[in-house]
Amino acid sequence: MNVAEKLVPVVCPWCSVGCRFYAVSVNGYIRRIEFDYDHPTVNRGKLCPKGVASYQFINSSKRLKKPLKRVGEKGEGKFEEISWDEAYRIIAEKIKEIKETYGPEAIAFLGSEKITLEENYLVHKLSKAIGTNHLDFPGRYCQYSNSPARMAVFGSAPATNPFEDVAKAELIVIWGHNPAETAPVFFGQYIEKALDNGAEMVVIDPRATRGHKYASMHLKPYPGTDLAIALALLNVVISEELYDREFVQERTTGFEELKEAVKDYTPEWAEKISGVPAEDIRKVARLIATKRTALLVNEGMNQHVNGFEMAVALANLIAITGNIGKEGVWSGVFPGAQCGFCAAMSGIAPNKLPTGKLVTDEAARAELERLWGFKIPDWVGFDLTTMIREAGNKIRMMYIVAGNIAKSAPNSGWVREQLKKLDFLVVQDIFLTETAKYADIVLPAAAWFEKTGTAISAERRVQRTYKAAEAPGEAKPDWLIIVELAKELGLGEYFKYEHPDEILREINSVIPVFKGATPEYLAEHPEGCFFPCTEPGEGTKVLFKKGFKTADGKAHLQPVKWREPPEMPDEEYPLWLTNFREVGHWHTGTMTFESPSLEKRWPEEYVMINPKDAEKYGIRSGDLVKVETRRGSILVRAEVTEHVREGVIAMPWHWNVNFLTLDVIHEKTKMAELKAVAARVRKVEE
Amino acid sequence: MSKKIFLDYKRCIGCKACEVACEMTHGEARIRVFEFPDLFTVPFNCRHCEKAPCLNVCPTGALFRDEDGAVAFDPLKCIGCLMCAVACPFGVPKLDEENKIMDKCDLCADRRAEGKLPACVSACPTEALKFGDVNEILWNREGRVVANLKESAEKGEGEKAYIVL
Repeated sequence: MNVAEKLVPVVCPWCSVGCRFYAVSVNGYIRRIEFDYDHPTVNRGKLCPKGVASYQFINSSKRLKKPLKRVGEKGEGKFEEISWDEAYRIIAEKIKEIKETYGPEAIAFLGSEKITLEENYLVHKLSKAIGTNHLDFPGRYCQYSNSPARMAVFGSAPATNPFEDVAKAELIVIWGHNPAETAPVFFGQYIEKALDNGAEMVVIDPRATRGHKYASMHLKPYPGTDLAIALALLNVVISEELYDREFVQERTTGFEELKEAVKDYTPEWAEKISGVPAEDIRKVARLIATKRTALLVNEGMNQHVNGFEMAVALANLIAITGNIGKEGVWSGVFPGAQCGFCAAMSGIAPNKLPTGKLVTDEAARAELERLWGFKIPDWVGFDLTTMIREAGNKIRMMYIVAGNIAKSAPNSGWVREQLKKLDFLVVQDIFLTETAKYADIVLPAAAWFEKTGTAISAERRVQRTYKAAEAPGEAKPDWLIIVELAKELGLGEYFKYEHPDEILREINSVIPVFKGATPEYLAEHPEGCFFPCTEPGEGTKVLFKKGFKTADGKAHLQPVKWREPPEMPDEEYPLWLTNFREVGHWHTGTMTFESPSLEKRWPEEYVMINPKDAEKYGIRSGDLVKVETRRGSILVRAEVTEHVREGVIAMPWHWNVNFLTLDVIHEKTKMAELKAVAARVRKVEE
Repeated sequence: MSKKIFLDYKRCIGCKACEVACEMTHGEARIRVFEFPDLFTVPFNCRHCEKAPCLNVCPTGALFRDEDGAVAFDPLKCIGCLMCAVACPFGVPKLDEENKIMDKCDLCADRRAEGKLPACVSACPTEALKFGDVNEILWNREGRVVANLKESAEKGEGEKAYIVL
């Protein structure tokens, strides 16, 4: 028997910092991990608890091992095992039937931020080959405020600088972000290094986050009202003439309109709305305008209906203070999953082609049709929330790859009812998730360490991860499932792939920003390259040094108006409910709940209540309380703590909080309200 | 001089990567992160005391000091008498209920033998855990203080200079 240990270089499957380590693999099983200090890795060998425990879930006995066909009611979770051939046959027949009855526009696809670049690319290609543009991914609820806003202002959304520039910043602004828990390695290796170098830190959050003890200022707005603070910052920077004159003059347009738009948004006005002292807002504005700033924002800003306006305001602020296009500054999107960019950059969106161009762009479509060899639909499809809304109506079938929308989408009680209305649902995943329980056919997929592929981190670093373990039972990598299904559908000629390398080579020729990220280059350079990497080589580390990606190369400053959150506390529901992430869990917990070391330390959900509110409602730490909004209620334990401001309650989101959130969406970005809804809380007698 | 794990609680963010890394290596976490209401968190493991009471009271010699100075442990010699647990002022040795023998931090003897750092130190994302000789660690810290003072003096901020540890 061969028991030789193999060291397989892998990229961590959780957040988007892009940590690398070795999986020590013995005969197709991961025995342990080894820290990787040898290469110029982003994590310098360090790992967070999720990273250290990252292979536990793949050995869970609950892994899907064979394709399943539903025998019980939708949502009940009763299935029988079938063969792959039968599963492909049923799916292909159903797709043909629905296409004939309703047309291809009745079919919707979801890609995922949890699968590789190659796999997302294939999901995209398959959806277009079937003839539908109803294509999205759960990242819709992630960066879809910040990303379109930065597209509008700078012409490009991703992070402007590598992480090492964060360590060189003079001011770290952490706004609606909790990197000490969501990205501990990034916090320890870059933010703490900046603090060592004498940087100042400002936190803007209704909660005291883990990193808060390093901050010199902590602004605590009510959830969803920080747009007022952003507007007031713009107002102060402009009225006190603190902006970077030269930069504004040479590299931006629309300054006068912006000046006009924010002239009434004084810090005093913002104080009334957000509850943050005007003087603090002034101080922060002066700091941002005078120091090299790393502005770290995340879901606290993104997951609001007014998040788009907020993100535009911040992009304006970055531009007018000149905190862009140079060393020692940082701003950009920070995906919550290891492969957010894998979905976004392969064009997983209702209006995009993988090349990054719009589906409505005839020339771009013709070019892609030439490359791919089949006709591409020209209409703009539905976003995720609209898909759910149209389930059973315009959308008859959904094909979900590695997404758990029955738990991650807002107002999940409603989402589950909508999923029942579909004629046919296919879910491809590694566990029988809440969403998979509503599926007609469930396909067992290989997990992250069981396949080779490309991952892209938050700093635009493109890295290769390699197969370290065998998938259990008959589970297969997502790319292979798509290829085989395509063959069953008679589309085999467009999906002739035997290995992910072949898919990546096609991506090199189709997606311009990845032209230089060839399988050969990435194999030789484990540290990867920064996209856009148009030639094999390091790629582009700092963006916008000279021009922006807009048509005229200038940053387009946009006037921004105050917009209220769609639901505000009232007499009936007097509190703001917001949510947050825990260091030991990831997204809907599909994988981390199957990891004993993590589950043991972060066992259950709870609600954080300020002592003043707790006294008002007669609640003590450990009490069982009912948290209620207009959508539903859940029972949780209370934790009375100073770490959440008065008037606000906060819950970790990995469990059930989305039964309480709101499916109202922004008209342009389609972002829902996931972080600021009106709620009430009362003690439940035991 | 023996090497130990030193704890810089100011850098700790309470992520418990050390606990999980230890658990993944030894099956049970031998380091623990204590959390306080004001967001302070302190990771705490066996101190491998220079005058180790556990080692002194062990009747069978199951506890011994290894070449790096760690208070290590031979499971075959342990009779589960719990004397070490009684003697330790920090409550570090724990009974392995299944085998009825004691279990404690040995500074990852296996890893050290391969020239690697203890697992908790390897993982710690903020470098709140440092492995080294006491003088080496203190000199580094002192070096930073001196550098800070020097920098302030060069900037002409003599009166503003204060010690930042």
